[in-house]
Amino acid sequence: MLSLSAELSEATVNLQMINGDERATDGDVAHAKVLMHFAESFARRDETALTQARTALLNEAGPDVLVDTAGVAANFQRMVRIADSIGIPLDDRNVALSAGVREELDLQRFASAKNTPQASLKVRLMSLIARPMAKRMIKKMEAQRSKSES
Amino acid sequence: MDSSTTYFDYSDSPYPIRAGLVDVHKDYWQTLAKAGSWFTGAERIAIAAEVRNALQCTFCAQRKTALSPYALQGEHLKGDVLSDDVVDAVHRIVTDQSRITKNYVQSNVQKGFSEEQYVELVGVVVNVLSIDEFHRALGLPQESLPQPVAGDPDHYRPAHTEHDTAYVAMIPPEGAVGPESDLWPERTANVLRALSLVPDAVRSWMKIANEHYLSMEAMGNFTGPNGRSINRMQIELVAGRVSSINECFY
Repeated sequence: MLSLSAELSEATVNLQMINGDERATDGDVAHAKVLMHFAESFARRDETALTQARTALLNEAGPDVLVDTAGVAANFQRMVRIADSIGIPLDDRNVALSAGVREELDLQRFASAKNTPQASLKVRLMSLIARPMAKRMIKKMEAQRSKSES
Repeated sequence: MDSSTTYFDYSDSPYPIRAGLVDVHKDYWQTLAKAGSWFTGAERIAIAAEVRNALQCTFCAQRKTALSPYALQGEHLKGDVLSDDVVDAVHRIVTDQSRITKNYVQSNVQKGFSEEQYVELVGVVVNVLSIDEFHRALGLPQESLPQPVAGDPDHYRPAHTEHDTAYVAMIPPEGAVGPESDLWPERTANVLRALSLVPDAVRSWMKIANEHYLSMEAMGNFTGPNGRSINRMQIELVAGRVSSINECFY
């Protein structure tokens, strides 16, 4: 989703932020470094680091950003537990759409990858076509939405 | 629920909490206290208490590092309302969810802990955890659990389910019809279908997700305003980093 939102926003984003690479935060995502530190100290349950990260995020971006960030972080403590405890695989269309990103971030290393079969060569090739098509379709939908709102 | 108690009064919070978040937390505490489809209000609140116990449970910490999560024997830190199998399921979902298997879920079914109960339990666990984690993220104290409301489970089960995608039965993608027509539009995703054996569990988690993350409508909007103080790239950075540490493939 980060990759897609960056592409659609025509922003420069290094996806290795997702894997915690601090050097990757030099891009077009505002407050990326403090957001990344907040997310990781929270998910690791490192309360000392979380207190520091909370203060840093508050000072740099303000209370509204802190509260909305806390909501997103809390939500994604839930998503992994729904997916893993029910044993759902990745949706078929997302297997093709996200094949490149999953490879770039090496997501196959996660235990929960067991619920989704590895993408075949055919699916990986399809992803080269599917992703630009999806991007065009979403752009078109967003343009229609903003036209109808204006 | 005790109507004289005000839950989620954020007046002492050092940060203003958006009204949508306050409302959805209050609303869920009311839902939690009432009988669901397969558990009474008292049992649902006991499940919520086990979510909190799991995070302090020494046995869970030992099991998390064990080579096999099914070989180690021990005692959970637990209350006395729920059966051991139900307590164990809550603790596994909170502390070691990636090693839950279809065999584990189905062996519980053989012992009388049904798929329907398991799905409702997952729904309660993830919603309570999400609200507690929101508080932890902001350094706020946990809310006290509500008092149960008397009543019996309605034993509602959707008419059309299939059993070939996950560990439990789910409504098929085209099956959100009739009483379930509000669950998703024409297109759906497995994560939306995951809890659909207990439709109210889907409704509850979607309400919270609409406020903690984004509404279904806003999810399809990658570049425009989303009603939040962070843009979509910032949202997905936080979501992605948390999910990466949680080893979430989905």
